[in-house]
Amino acid sequence: MTERAIGIDLGTSNSCVAASYGDRVEVLANSYGENTSASVASFAEDGSITVGNAARANIIHDPEHTVSSAKRLIGRYFFSEEVKKAQAVCSYEIIEGPNHGVRIQVRDEAFSLPEISAMVLREMKQLAEIRVGEEVCKAVITVPAYFNDNQRQATKDAGKIAGLEVMRILNEPTAAALAYGFGKGLEQRVAVYDLGGGTFDISILEIGKDIFEVLSTCGDTFLGGDDFDDRIIDLVADEFVQQEGINLRSNPYAFEKLKMAAEAAKCGLSVDDEVEIRIPDLLIGEDGGARSIERTITQQEFSSLVTDLVQRTFKVCDEALQQADLTVHDLDGVILVGGPTRLPVIREAVRTYFQQEPRADVDPDEVVAMGAAIHANSLVNESAESFLLDVTPLDLRIGVAGGLAEPVIERNTPVPIEQSRMFTTFADYQESVDIRVFQGDSREASSNELLGQFAFSGFKKARRGEVSIEVTFEINADGIVSVKACDSETGAQNMTSITLSSGLSSEELRTILAENPAARVERAGAPVALPETMPETTGTEAHAASDDLEAAGAHDERVLPMAGDDEADLELLDRDTEVLEDSETTPQANEESAPADSEADALFDRDTRNLSEGLCDDA
Amino acid sequence: MPPMLPLEIQALAKILDELDYYQILDLVPNAAQSDVKKAYFETSRTFHPDANRHLDEAVRNACMHVSKRVTEAYCVLRDPRRRSVYDAQQGSSSDRKRIPLGEARESHVRQESEERQGKTAQGRQFYQKAMQCQARGDRGGTISNLQMAITLEPGCEFFQRQLAATKAAS
Repeated sequence: MTERAIGIDLGTSNSCVAASYGDRVEVLANSYGENTSASVASFAEDGSITVGNAARANIIHDPEHTVSSAKRLIGRYFFSEEVKKAQAVCSYEIIEGPNHGVRIQVRDEAFSLPEISAMVLREMKQLAEIRVGEEVCKAVITVPAYFNDNQRQATKDAGKIAGLEVMRILNEPTAAALAYGFGKGLEQRVAVYDLGGGTFDISILEIGKDIFEVLSTCGDTFLGGDDFDDRIIDLVADEFVQQEGINLRSNPYAFEKLKMAAEAAKCGLSVDDEVEIRIPDLLIGEDGGARSIERTITQQEFSSLVTDLVQRTFKVCDEALQQADLTVHDLDGVILVGGPTRLPVIREAVRTYFQQEPRADVDPDEVVAMGAAIHANSLVNESAESFLLDVTPLDLRIGVAGGLAEPVIERNTPVPIEQSRMFTTFADYQESVDIRVFQGDSREASSNELLGQFAFSGFKKARRGEVSIEVTFEINADGIVSVKACDSETGAQNMTSITLSSGLSSEELRTILAENPAARVERAGAPVALPETMPETTGTEAHAASDDLEAAGAHDERVLPMAGDDEADLELLDRDTEVLEDSETTPQANEESAPADSEADALFDRDTRNLSEGLCDDA
Repeated sequence: MPPMLPLEIQALAKILDELDYYQILDLVPNAAQSDVKKAYFETSRTFHPDANRHLDEAVRNACMHVSKRVTEAYCVLRDPRRRSVYDAQQGSSSDRKRIPLGEARESHVRQESEERQGKTAQGRQFYQKAMQCQARGDRGGTISNLQMAITLEPGCEFFQRQLAATKAAS
């Protein structure tokens, strides 16, 4: 029995869904024949929610209640750089949620990012079901290769909320390479240059017929096509201030119009040498007269505006090649992914850097969804026609004394993988130990992304150094991290994760699933349905999704009041005399870092989520 | 490696700790470096989690257990430096079958890479530029970029050789 599974490219600006029919892969168009749908959700006053291309127009008409580019925020902490940036430029309201997470405040409701992305995913799911003519429950969803554990977990949560069993969180460049090389029996080394709306990834792969091995992957989750738009926006906005004395950024309606025009201009420059930016009736001036913008921008002018952004991508490429121990001459092909790679300035730079013409037989907007669909098909139909051997993009580190974080599993290590380390206690008769897990490339703990914080207890009370605790770190094929601890003597394994993850706690997720998220989007404003009736999926899906969570072995969260936190500490047992972070000496949080200790104490009272949940529903 | 039955996979998982990395990858101990990747690919076809989703939970878990060890074996054996440290450990009377990846980092490979392309980012950049000039047939550009690279990394023999070769060719 052939079960249908889909591949979804959940993009920053646009999403795409594809399905494999065994012998061919097809991108699924919506009822208007469009192959991509805007990753936008718009919330109307009457309570209805519109998602996709139909919602796009509302970015201008109703900017405060229209959410776009959720991918830039998903899985991030409220105090992170990216969120601060977004607050400055987004017309919708971004507020802080529990666990230093992010919420979008729209019309008296606060949505988490997974809920917003789930609306887009649900849209793609429904679109797929109309096209394939049957219910679709399973999917492979792609993420930037450089996404960290928090971002991956949050994306997986979004899938669950949308009523999908997420069989795999797949890296976008890997998906693209799969679409490029599947079934061709290639033996090649390729680079995938993926410049999306919000992120840049480069992956170097070795294709060994049916095996796609990632040799290295590097990226920049703060760099994408949107930044190219920003350059045009800045140019035009600055000119407008000079000419009219009005700051467009302070007027959300005008600003959104400008953003759209800038994006359109950028897209136009993919095809034409010169584009006109024309926004009539941009706003009304003090004199009551309408102001407009009419300005031509040339390829050359645009190129000079974005040179530094382009250069940034090649610094990342340098890094990836170095990690893979290869030079550009070792590559047999370059694959371009993402709409922005259509820009002549990018194509030219890629041609120069890689010293070869990028592959022309690959559609940069659709290749990722197609690769995801191919993989979804092989997962669901047990066909094992291809094998993806991916790597983890970031160092997995553990907090040690002095505010440092030591690597346990290095970046670009193949997955799945597991590594263990031995620890002991710092103080006599210590009752619990504190383990902090990070991802990132900095020796300073505070400059990394905090994935979770764990308290482990249940070991014998003994003098310092006499307790032996084995901590095992695992990264699965999705790139999702789990940590467990074991007391070598008693075999006790009762570790509770007190995650500071920006994501939803198990309880929150359960609540959301129980609320039947299907109802939220289907309230109204869905695109025109085709004559075929869709299968009634709402009830079963929500049920199935929460079943999935149950089956995944989601544990009861327990708030662990850590008596004598100050003492909670681990010390490495082996020759390195590093001591794990003492709660007292945790450095103050900077903008991008984990919260300072006083906040950390407060967090111990919050809901917990078992970090290893992410692993449970895996193979 | 012929396909394995679920029972075989579970049995293998049980005795995994008794096997060394060569056994796990089905390699002879003195296998050539070029054989390591082939063996890893082959073993992955059998044990990768993606290939085993349809099996029931106990077998899937066993597969995952094996798969992680396969990856670990590959990480160690594919890196000449790590491999030599591992071989030394195996040679001694230690009954450790594993080695932490952190031990013996890939400095050996990194060192080679630096020798080939330069140690510093700028050195590498000028070298790349020189190669671009060379591809275009711009001899003058090749030479001046190589000279810049050498100025930045006077100790790099590879750059010196490249420069000498370029000058010699007319």
